[in-house]
Amino acid sequence: MKKKLNAFNYIVLLGATAFFVFPLIAATEFSLRAKNATTHNFDNYVWVFHQDGFRTTLWTSLRLAILTAVAVLVLMVPTIVYLHLGGARWKRFIEFVCLVPLVVPVISFALGVSTAFPTFLQSTVYELSFLYVVISLPYTYRALDVGLSSIPLLTLVEASRASGASMRQTLMFVVVPTIRSAVNGAIFLAVALSLGEFTLAVLLHWDTFPTWIANISQGHILGAISLSVLALVGSWLLVLVVAIAPKSFGSNKTQEAAA
Amino acid sequence: MTDRTGSRKGAGPLQYKAGKASKGTFKSLLPLLPFLAFIGYFLVFPLTFIIRDAFLSNDGKFTWTNFAQCFQGVYGHSFYVSIHLSFISAMIGAVAGSMIASAIVKTGSRTRKAVAATSSVLANTGGVPLAFMFLAGFGAEGLVTKTLKAMGWNLYGGSFTLFSETGIILVYCFFQIPLMVLIFSPALENIKPEFREANDSLGGTRLTYFTRVSVPLLFPAFLSTSLLLFANSFSAYATARAMTAGTLPLMPLLIGNLVDGNVIANQEHLGHAMAVSMIGVSIIVMGIYLLVLKFSKARS
Repeated sequence: MKKKLNAFNYIVLLGATAFFVFPLIAATEFSLRAKNATTHNFDNYVWVFHQDGFRTTLWTSLRLAILTAVAVLVLMVPTIVYLHLGGARWKRFIEFVCLVPLVVPVISFALGVSTAFPTFLQSTVYELSFLYVVISLPYTYRALDVGLSSIPLLTLVEASRASGASMRQTLMFVVVPTIRSAVNGAIFLAVALSLGEFTLAVLLHWDTFPTWIANISQGHILGAISLSVLALVGSWLLVLVVAIAPKSFGSNKTQEAAA
Repeated sequence: MTDRTGSRKGAGPLQYKAGKASKGTFKSLLPLLPFLAFIGYFLVFPLTFIIRDAFLSNDGKFTWTNFAQCFQGVYGHSFYVSIHLSFISAMIGAVAGSMIASAIVKTGSRTRKAVAATSSVLANTGGVPLAFMFLAGFGAEGLVTKTLKAMGWNLYGGSFTLFSETGIILVYCFFQIPLMVLIFSPALENIKPEFREANDSLGGTRLTYFTRVSVPLLFPAFLSTSLLLFANSFSAYATARAMTAGTLPLMPLLIGNLVDGNVIANQEHLGHAMAVSMIGVSIIVMGIYLLVLKFSKARS
C-alpha cells in the first residue's frame, strides 16, 4: 500500500530522522573518546566488559525476561482463550482489570509491593518476574486478544477436541501455533519490558542490568554511556532482525490456513 | 445514531445470556480463577495495602496528616511540576508522533515494519540508556551541543540545562513520540482511500476532508493515545532519576527519596500518601477522558 508522500511528509520524516539519529551518533562518538580527549578508541567498552557486574546483572535480567515471558503465556493464553469461548460475559471485566496497571504509576505499585509482600517473596529476585507480568498486562492482553479474534477459534478447538486431544494439548499444539505472531508479540513485549525495567528493580533493591548501568555512572560516567549505547543499539538491531526477517515458511502457512 | 439501533444493540444475545444464566455465574468464573488469584495477590493486595498505609501515622494510628502534608510545600509544588511536565510532553509527543505516523503509513511495508520496530525499542527500552545518551550528546562537551554551536545556536547561552524541566521534556520526547507513532499508526491505517474518493466526488476540498472526515474519525484514538502519553510521563521515574539524581521536584522522584530514607527518615507514610495521590491524579485524568469520549460520541 504505497502512496505518494507530499513535501510536508518528507520534511516531517527528515526532521524526525535527524532528531532521533543525531543524539545517538553524538553519544556513540562521546563513548569512543580517549582519555586525552583528542583521539578515539574502544577503551571504555573494554573497561565495561571487564567489570564483574556486566555478566552477572545481564544474566539476571535475561533469566527474569525468560521467566516473565513463560509466566505471561501460561497465565494469559488459557484465560483469553476461555474468554473467547465459554466465558464471553466476563470479557469486559477482565479487559478492565488488564488496563488497571496503566492507571497505577509503577512507583506506587512498587511501594505497595515493598510494604505488602512477605519476606519470603521479597528475598528472591524472581519476584520481579511476577510484577513484570502485571505491568505488561495491558499490552500482552491486547496482543493475544487481537490474535485470537482473527482465527476461527471455536472450530479449531472443537475439531481438536473431537479428534481426542485434551484441552492442554489443544492449547499447546493447535491454538498457540495458529496465533504464532500474536504470541511472538506478547513474548517480545514481556522480554523488552523485563530487560529495560528500572523502577521496580531499584525500589525493591535488586541488581538488574538497568540498575547496574545507573550504579556505574556514579564512578565512571563514560562506562555508563558506552553501556547505554550498547543496550540501545543492541536491542534495536535484535528487534529489527526479528521484525524484518521473512517469517518461516511453516508458521506462515498455518496463519494463512487459519485466516 | 437513532434510538432504534441503540435499543437493538442493548438487547444483544450476549446480555440476554448473561441475565439468564445467573445460576451458573460461579461455575463460569472457575476457569478464570488462576488469573483472578494472580491479579488479586500481585496487584490488588499491594494496592489495598498501600492505601491503608497512607492513612496511618508512624505509630500505626489512623490519620489524615499524611495527605495534608503532601499538598504543602515542596510536595504540593511537585504536583504542579509533574502534571505540567507530563501535559507538555504528552502534547508534543502526540502532535509530533501523529505527524510522523501520517507520513509513515504512506510508505512501503518494509519501512513501516522497521519504524514500528525502532519505535517499540525506544518506547520500551527507554529509561536509563536514554538518559545517559542525552547526557553524552547534549552535555557541554557533546557533539550535538558543539554542532549547534557551530551552526550559531549556543544551547547553553540562556538558562538551559538538561536537568531542568525543559531538558527532561526534551528527553521524554525520545520515548513519547515513538509511543505515539506505535499506537496511532493502526488507527491511521483504518482510514480507507475510499473515504478520500467519496469526499472528492461529493465536491469536498482538502480542508473539508480534514475537518469533516479525518479529524472526527481519528479524534478518539488521538485523545486516548495522548492520555496514555500523559500517564506514561507522569509515572516515568527511571530517566528522571538517572539524569537529575533526584533534584527536580517531580512526584516520583520525591516519593523515591522519601521511601529510600536517605534524605529524611521515618517519612514512609508520607511517601505512601503521595503514591496514592498519584493514582488519584491518574484516575481523574482517565475520568476526563471518558467524559470527553462520551461527549464526542453523543455529538457525532
